Amino acid sequence: MKKLKLLVGLATALFMLAPCSLFASSHREAPITALDRSADVTDWYAFVSYQNPNNVTFILNVDPLLEPSNGPNYFPFDNSVQYEMFVDNNQDGIPDIAFFFRFNTEIRQPDLFTGFVGNLAGVPPITSLSGTGSEGLSLRQTYTVTMVNLHTGKSTLLNDGKTLFAVPSNVGPKTMPDYQSLFNQGIYNLGNGICVFAGTVDDPFFIDLGAFFDSVNFPSTVGPILSPTIDADNTHNYAPDAVAGFNVNSIVLEVPIAMLTVDGKIHPATDKQAVIGTYGATARHHITVRNSPNPDGSSGAFQQVNREGNSLINEAVIGTGFKDRFSEDFPANDSQFANFFLNPVAAAVLHSLGVPVPPNPRTDLLILAQYEPPICPGCGPQDAGPVADLLRLNTGIPPTPVGSQLRLGFIAGDNAGYPNGRRPIDDVFDISLRAIEGILVDSTKFGLPLGDGVNTKTEGFNNAFPYVMPANSGRNSVHIGPGQTGCTGQPGGICPE
Amino acid sequence: MKKFLALMLMSMTPATLVSTICVSTICVAQSNQTTSTDPTTSAADPSPAERSIAEAQRTIGEKPEQYTGYNLLATALIRRARETSEARYYAEAGDAIKKSLQLAPNNFDTNKIQVSILLGEHEFPAALDAAQALNKQSVDDVMVYGLLTVAYSELGDYKDAETAAQWMLNLRPGNLPALINAARLRELFGEIDGSYELLQMAYDSTPPTENEQRAWLLTQMGHLRVAPGNTDAAEKLLQQALTAFPSYPVSVGELAEVRIAQKRYEEAVVLLRQRYQATSRTANLFDLAKALRLAGHEGQAKQAFAEFETKALLESNKKDNSNRELIFYYADYAKQPAKALKIAEQEYAWRKDVYTLDAYAWALHVNGQDVEAGKQIETALKVGIRDARLFRHAGEIALKSGDSVAAQNYLRQSAELKTADSEQARVELASLLGGRSR
Repeated sequence: MKKLKLLVGLATALFMLAPCSLFASSHREAPITALDRSADVTDWYAFVSYQNPNNVTFILNVDPLLEPSNGPNYFPFDNSVQYEMFVDNNQDGIPDIAFFFRFNTEIRQPDLFTGFVGNLAGVPPITSLSGTGSEGLSLRQTYTVTMVNLHTGKSTLLNDGKTLFAVPSNVGPKTMPDYQSLFNQGIYNLGNGICVFAGTVDDPFFIDLGAFFDSVNFPSTVGPILSPTIDADNTHNYAPDAVAGFNVNSIVLEVPIAMLTVDGKIHPATDKQAVIGTYGATARHHITVRNSPNPDGSSGAFQQVNREGNSLINEAVIGTGFKDRFSEDFPANDSQFANFFLNPVAAAVLHSLGVPVPPNPRTDLLILAQYEPPICPGCGPQDAGPVADLLRLNTGIPPTPVGSQLRLGFIAGDNAGYPNGRRPIDDVFDISLRAIEGILVDSTKFGLPLGDGVNTKTEGFNNAFPYVMPANSGRNSVHIGPGQTGCTGQPGGICPE
Repeated sequence: MKKFLALMLMSMTPATLVSTICVSTICVAQSNQTTSTDPTTSAADPSPAERSIAEAQRTIGEKPEQYTGYNLLATALIRRARETSEARYYAEAGDAIKKSLQLAPNNFDTNKIQVSILLGEHEFPAALDAAQALNKQSVDDVMVYGLLTVAYSELGDYKDAETAAQWMLNLRPGNLPALINAARLRELFGEIDGSYELLQMAYDSTPPTENEQRAWLLTQMGHLRVAPGNTDAAEKLLQQALTAFPSYPVSVGELAEVRIAQKRYEEAVVLLRQRYQATSRTANLFDLAKALRLAGHEGQAKQAFAEFETKALLESNKKDNSNRELIFYYADYAKQPAKALKIAEQEYAWRKDVYTLDAYAWALHVNGQDVEAGKQIETALKVGIRDARLFRHAGEIALKSGDSVAAQNYLRQSAELKTADSEQARVELASLLGGRSR
């Protein structure tokens, strides 16, 4: 029985981790998620805070590819969605701690044609999220943060007594002349070392989406095998960042590590209790065709809609017809998707492009689906837990100082980077390509420097809480494509065709 | 029913996805498909479907060897069918799918689109077979459950329709196609407020840029407000819909229903004429003819009925037909009960949804077969639907069968609603009660 379980787990793990190439960030992976934008988890990040090594920061991004100028209501969070962050702290794949976020929307000026107006018709510019200067915020959202101990059921409202406002999208300089100030106003210190932020921000993900989706058609001078110069560059792009200029809705939470570990203490990296497994999710009330006595939108148990642990699993590994099943199920049940992992499609694709890949089964990828060294050096075989798509983070590994962080994270020796958690700077697309390629098996034999040539975020990174950048301006934002400027690593900054 | 079917189809094909992706600057290609006869567009302002069509054509132009462009085109054309109520777009979509299948035979996504087209063409039995095959191929595909829901529902298998819709809701709570399917079933099950609530949820989760989709949802919400007599709320919703998507045929038609409920028949005629000129669907001509008669334009009504009969007979042997309207035309207006029953039997042979059962029951009734008529209308009403016409028909059938208690009960339920049939039921109920008291 134990052997069978191990085999199934192994097979599942392979698939969970292997074909991370086919879709990059989870920008619309599942058929139905694509029809439920506000509940679509695009990316999930978890890392030891750069500013405070005793804290962990979680970032849950939802609602993909928001065009900054897309008024009049822009991109409010969905009142009927519960946004969720989960932490497993005892290596069993089942969450022990949860943070829930619920939003409330008020329309303060129902007759107004748009959600936001400023410097127009007697309405002052929007300079504040509340009080004077907030008159033009017709559409305004507040939210709550609740921490739940899933063992005891104890629920704690972390913002007790404090009104938290979500930061609206950046409409433009006339309406919001000092957007940075509004952004900063959306950062809340809740006490006890907890900080929170919610709002529309610049999407931190970066990738040459167009080239990738065009059947892996990268510019010939760039990818998919990067030159040593491009590969070593952490700060310039050689191909267009297709997500540049787009926004995303982001919830950022920073909490002390001691709030997350199983015993409430901080542990060294060598201790298995330092390692947590995390994922972000969205949920809606369960609805039945036959009406219940209570309103659907506000009653009944929540049911998970979408989730993300490691980047790219649902997008790249799970078959189209099963993505919704994967989305609504829990990580601890991921062994049911084993068949998708036995023969990683993405590895076969790489092989078809002439890239050497190891033969199946891909045991090398197990590290990402279970608690194992080197992310969990203190874990023995008995601590591996079930195969589960969790983003594992060793909270005992200190953050790499800003400036020394490497886009290729853990596989480049920057141990605080993906797949030991995930930071905004981590180039998960390139890292995943190389993992599929087999770099964990033999970095010489299977170590071609694969990548898309998009090595950094066009808008840059925020190195302090909330670790995301303010939203792009609806009035002035631009996107980047082939033949356009925006590739700083190329002559004249012109992106290759 | 066509209008509801159309959105359900749309909501479960990749067209919605396409349109959602094509927001703002991501997809701003100008359409070259605009026609001067389409009420829903102008050259300067292509509809979402037209934009999607143009985008798909551009994709095909760039990569003619890839099936994906043809799938995009097919889904955009299905969407265009809903925007315009023009069935010809389904045929064009079918052509695109044929090309796609030549390039990539047996592609799962393509097969789903093909089922959508079958549903749009009212080929429900074939669609059901194909959807069941896809369901076996991929047991957890939500879209396939959506296709199944529509097919079962249109064929009158509400139990299986409910099961399929519940799968959709379970697999992805709150997803738009599931909400719309469930809303439709709730309406059929008589849960009007519950149906409205789901439509409201669907509306709330529809991006503001999706004008046509929002207009459709507003129209359905307005539709649910008409029968209970809340015409003010209905009108507000429908005006909102027409602001979002001007001249939208489904909204125009529903607003005409409001006008009829308000007894503003002349205005209803104007609206229904506008809709018929825009879409020229045969069933729409029947509605226009009825409104003309209500407005007292007997000559024009007669002419419209005659034209309707001619056109309806031409399409009578197709699955996408106006047979239900034709049955009522023969039964209530032309006074040719035998013809009504012949058409009704033809329709009943392949579908047993509540509206077909009603039409069949009514045809039996006007032919004096009230025992069988009673069985059929009872079967329809057991589903739970609260429709003034069905209640009135049930009342009249019961009355003819000699069951005055049941007749009163049904007529009262019809009279409590606020449609043209309610008005008729009130008259008949008063007559019945008056007769008894005498």
